[in-house]
Amino acid sequence: MNCENYQILLSEFVDGTLTAEDCARVELHLTSCPDCADARNDLRVVVDFCLEQRGQYDAIPNERAMWLRISNLIEAESSSPARSQTPREAGWWFRLMNRSWQLSFPQLAGLVGAIVLVVAVATAFSMYRLSSRTSPLVAGFVPGSNSASIDERYSQQQQTIAYWNQRVELNKARWNPQMRETFDRNMGVIDAAVTDSMKQLHQNPHDSVSEDILNDALNDKVALLKEFSDL
Amino acid sequence: MKLFSSDTRKPVTILSAVSSILIILAASSFALAQQKVSRRFPAGKNVRFELKNVTGTITVETWQRDEIMVTALMDNRKATFNPRQTDTGLVIDIVGDNRGRGDIGDMNFKIQLPVRSSVDLETRSGQINVSNIQGDLVRAHIWTSGDIRLSGVNAARVFASNTSGDIFFDGEFAAGGTYEFKSGRGTISLQLPANCGFHLVATAPVKKISMGPFWHDGMKLLSEGKRIIGDVGDGRASVTVTNYQGDIQFFRR
Repeated sequence: MNCENYQILLSEFVDGTLTAEDCARVELHLTSCPDCADARNDLRVVVDFCLEQRGQYDAIPNERAMWLRISNLIEAESSSPARSQTPREAGWWFRLMNRSWQLSFPQLAGLVGAIVLVVAVATAFSMYRLSSRTSPLVAGFVPGSNSASIDERYSQQQQTIAYWNQRVELNKARWNPQMRETFDRNMGVIDAAVTDSMKQLHQNPHDSVSEDILNDALNDKVALLKEFSDL
Repeated sequence: MKLFSSDTRKPVTILSAVSSILIILAASSFALAQQKVSRRFPAGKNVRFELKNVTGTITVETWQRDEIMVTALMDNRKATFNPRQTDTGLVIDIVGDNRGRGDIGDMNFKIQLPVRSSVDLETRSGQINVSNIQGDLVRAHIWTSGDIRLSGVNAARVFASNTSGDIFFDGEFAAGGTYEFKSGRGTISLQLPANCGFHLVATAPVKKISMGPFWHDGMKLLSEGKRIIGDVGDGRASVTVTNYQGDIQFFRR
């Protein structure tokens, strides 16, 4: 018989219910096996403690009835609605935040769709307002603006023109006379268009055609200067 | 008595011989100074050709071959010319190729392309002539002076602009196409078939807009006639014509 078989018999050995023959055999083994002797000692301590504490921990009279009560309590807790615990005097925010939100798939899809729609409309509206505010600045001249504003904007554009003009003048000495003459003559054509449209706008500040021509001519002038600045 | 003695005829003969030699030398030296280069490039049916020139005439014609033929006549021998083949066609950038070389003189180009080609042409000065192109795009831009002549053009997009010089267009407007013509000083003439349809915005603040047979009472005159807006025919092509200081004329083909 090995240690494992002896340890199976230890519980009965400690309780004193083992046959005399087995009891003698176990005692003999315990004298020669310190591991099994330690196991016997541990078991004896536990059994002695239980015997000493008997009466203080009464056995449950009806275990099944007790588990039924516990399970009933758990079910009652989980099934009771949260709002039933909301005090009557609580505000709408408290009620909203303590509400249990349970949505079906169509409800959820509808909610997401509504959010997307609202965001899209808000974005489109913002973009429209932004573009309507910035486009005249990009174009250069606000239609219907007064002549003072036109002069102001014209002088702003002149700064850009002055910069590119400076770069052209640096390189102009290298050009052949024919190229210089051609450039100057064509710049004169654009300048004449600018002067004419400015004159028209001073007479009639609401002349949209003159505004368009002025914008076009100034843009053409900048483009021509840029093109010839690296020649 | 001899009318011409041998003594008097000899110096005249020598003088005429020397003069002839000088004339021949002058002519040949001028011819030698010019350089003519011709190159052929394989191409498909729908070619895109781009050319950015400095000065000189650009002439674009079509032919019945799937090839691009470039013939360049250069005034200055130091000018270089490096065509670059792309997936869709050919690009020639004379401005970029000759940057830093100073004055390279005129470079005159004759280009032969398949009919269904797109062309994008640009020069600082000089003329541009395009004929019989039926591709997607025809763009001709002269930064300063030079005439533009587009004849037999049937493209979905046409852009022609210069600062001074005439612009002539003889072609058709495709439904849904875009057509822009702009000049600083010069006459813009558009010769169109009677049945063409387009929406027009024509602006000429200094001189006259002559609509010819395409005028009708539904057209709007803005700013005392400086601008005309209106539809001709089905109005499906978009046409914008602007001339700062010149006339705009419409003719029926």
